Amino acid sequence: MTAAPLVIVIDDDPSVRSSLKFLLSTVGLQTETFDSANSFLHKKRPDVPSCLVLDVRLPGLSGLDFQRELAARNICIPIIFLTGHGDIPMTVRAMKAGAVEFLTKPFRDQDLLDAVRIALDRDCARREQETEIADLHRRFASLTSREQEVVSKVVAGMLNKQIAAELGTAESTVKVQRGRAMEKMQAESLAHLIKMIQKLQLSSDKVA
Amino acid sequence: MNTFSSSSSSREDVPLQGSIPQSTASLDSILCTEELHRRPSRPPDYEKENHALVKLVSALADSPSTIFHTLAETIQNITQCDSAGLSLLTRDGKTPHVDGQRFYWPAICGMWNPHVGGGTPRNFGPCGDVLDQNRTLLFTHFERRYPYLMPVSPAAEECLLVPFYVNGKAVGTIWGIMHSDRRKFDAEDDRVMASLGKFASSAYQAWMHIEELKVEVAEREKAEAEVRELAKGLEAKIRRLVESNIVGIIMFNLDGAITEANAAFLNMVQFNGDDLASGRVRWADLTPAEWRGSDERAIAEINATGIAQPYEKEYFAKDGSRVPVIVGGALFAGSQSEGVAFVLDLTEQKRAQQRLEEARRSLYTTQAELARVARLTTMGELAASIAHEVNQPLTAVTNNGSACLRLLSNRNLDPEVLKRALQEIVADATRASAVIAQIRAFIKKTPTEMSELDINDVIHEVLALASHELQKDQVSVDCQLTGTLPRVRADRVQLQQVLLNLVMNGVEAMTGSQPRTLSLQSRTDESGNVLVAVCDSGTGLGSETDSLFTPFFTTKADGMGMGLPISRSLIENHGGRLCASANSPHGAVFSFTLPVAGETNS
Repeated sequence: MTAAPLVIVIDDDPSVRSSLKFLLSTVGLQTETFDSANSFLHKKRPDVPSCLVLDVRLPGLSGLDFQRELAARNICIPIIFLTGHGDIPMTVRAMKAGAVEFLTKPFRDQDLLDAVRIALDRDCARREQETEIADLHRRFASLTSREQEVVSKVVAGMLNKQIAAELGTAESTVKVQRGRAMEKMQAESLAHLIKMIQKLQLSSDKVA
Repeated sequence: MNTFSSSSSSREDVPLQGSIPQSTASLDSILCTEELHRRPSRPPDYEKENHALVKLVSALADSPSTIFHTLAETIQNITQCDSAGLSLLTRDGKTPHVDGQRFYWPAICGMWNPHVGGGTPRNFGPCGDVLDQNRTLLFTHFERRYPYLMPVSPAAEECLLVPFYVNGKAVGTIWGIMHSDRRKFDAEDDRVMASLGKFASSAYQAWMHIEELKVEVAEREKAEAEVRELAKGLEAKIRRLVESNIVGIIMFNLDGAITEANAAFLNMVQFNGDDLASGRVRWADLTPAEWRGSDERAIAEINATGIAQPYEKEYFAKDGSRVPVIVGGALFAGSQSEGVAFVLDLTEQKRAQQRLEEARRSLYTTQAELARVARLTTMGELAASIAHEVNQPLTAVTNNGSACLRLLSNRNLDPEVLKRALQEIVADATRASAVIAQIRAFIKKTPTEMSELDINDVIHEVLALASHELQKDQVSVDCQLTGTLPRVRADRVQLQQVLLNLVMNGVEAMTGSQPRTLSLQSRTDESGNVLVAVCDSGTGLGSETDSLFTPFFTTKADGMGMGLPISRSLIENHGGRLCASANSPHGAVFSFTLPVAGETNS
């Protein structure tokens, strides 16, 4: 991991903001603070692993509404909620919507730091996965359409002879196209190729 | 029986009135009275005459109703005529009347007997002629002048008529008829008839007297029957009243006795009919000493007016308990000491009154309690935001403290950093404790603590308390406070409560309105009092201004309707006034005044 992770704190109380920044600094974490959800949304987000620490009871846009707003904008960022008086239904709603943690003020410092660590790890993993998928997409896109056709039939478990019969070409031609595709996909084995294609299918399913 | 009372089947063979056919025959042509004295006369038969008169007298004594018939019989018997009868003046054709315009025949003996009930007109007939000439007349074939007698058969050859009078007034005639010439009336007949005419007068008088008596008796009987009927109806009604036992009813005398009482009264005082019969139940003895005065006043009233207006008192019941009652009575008409009274049991009413009294007392207690609850409810509404207010500084303190500890254990501590952190910790802790102090002041049910204070301070304190609510609802606050106001003497917490209540009401009233501006003003009014106004731009008061300060009146779904009534009473306890008015262009203004400190020493 090259870029330093960033913790984003949103709270309307300046004391809470500064104390959180101070606390997070003791474990070497960079912090950026906002007094409202809107001011955060208006600012461009640095492309580094990050997480949100925010008060449920925000002026303007409430914490839970903000969570919905982020999902609608397709912004994936792990959230740690802070609340003065969280009730159970509110907690359940937040956790279901993907919150990492729901902490009641005042909280133990270790609980917050643990939650931040988990959130950042989750964001790192997500970012890595996104990078890998993007790489695979690039490699797959570099195949010719015939090579892509051959690869999909190989992954489906067809033999070269069967593929040649289906495409109306010679078995030797299929063999050559298959070898070239393996090379472009940087596949070390047939199993490796199958795994990569599955990842691509999964991600496109997710997008769909 | 040919009595006139039974002769209702009168024969209408002679017209009563109207056009009577005239004839040419003169009265003289049908009269032959003078002949009576020229005819040979038979000798008087006094024995027979006396006998007949005795018979008449005894008939008058024994059976007056048949007297006219007996008279007719006697005439026929003495004169040996063919028909005999009498004619009486009548108005209705049935009963004698001196002012009658027609004669009728109540009794006829002999051949004309079937014509009983018939008669002749007063002014054009033989009887009328007799009365006009005031003497006995003898007619021969009078149907020649009076053709209406033509159908009355057999025809009268001769008719001897004698008038009779009562108290100088002609009332009728008696007559005898010969239908053939076998015998002629003579002077002796004239004499006897005159004699019988006098008797007829007496008989008529007696009869009329009897008739009058009959009428009188009938009227008296009718009146008595009516009285009896009335008494029966009234008695039934009174009995219904007494026996229905809706109220107690007693018959009493002024000596203290109860002579009669219905079950309702006896049940009231737990006595029975035997107790009453033995004379043990005496109103004087049933009355407790302290109520004797009321009884005496009632007796004085009853002696003066006959009636005692209803008054309240108590009776002892048989078991010694007391029965509250209302009593009213009256003496019987014509009695000096006996009367009737009604007695109404008030036990239930008294009990209900007592319950009402208790309910009212408990309502006061409840209202006082509610006032406290309402205060706590306002608290409860604020509790959420206050928790936030407390948690914010506490969170900051915890974070700063934890961070310092971490740096300490890492031996990585810059004294400047530590100093800054500790300063923040102290500031936040102070902030938290201030919030808590405010809450405590709210919750505590403290007695009034009067002190001299600046109303603007209270306004700021309340705005701080409500700041989160104001922010949450995006209400902008416009403070127009007069800087140098005289101080007021008041309980700070109570003023906070009132003001907070008004501010929260204002915020709620503006839900959904635009713009949401809450304006707070402080100044002195024209009387020199300190005035605070809370103006909102909400929905306004509408027609509810009058009800606003009524306990339990509320326009809020979950409101209790106690806020404004309590606020008003708090302000009034401070010697001020709280009132509501409309804001312009919309919304409401709630303002209260407080007297300046030093001017009131209450």
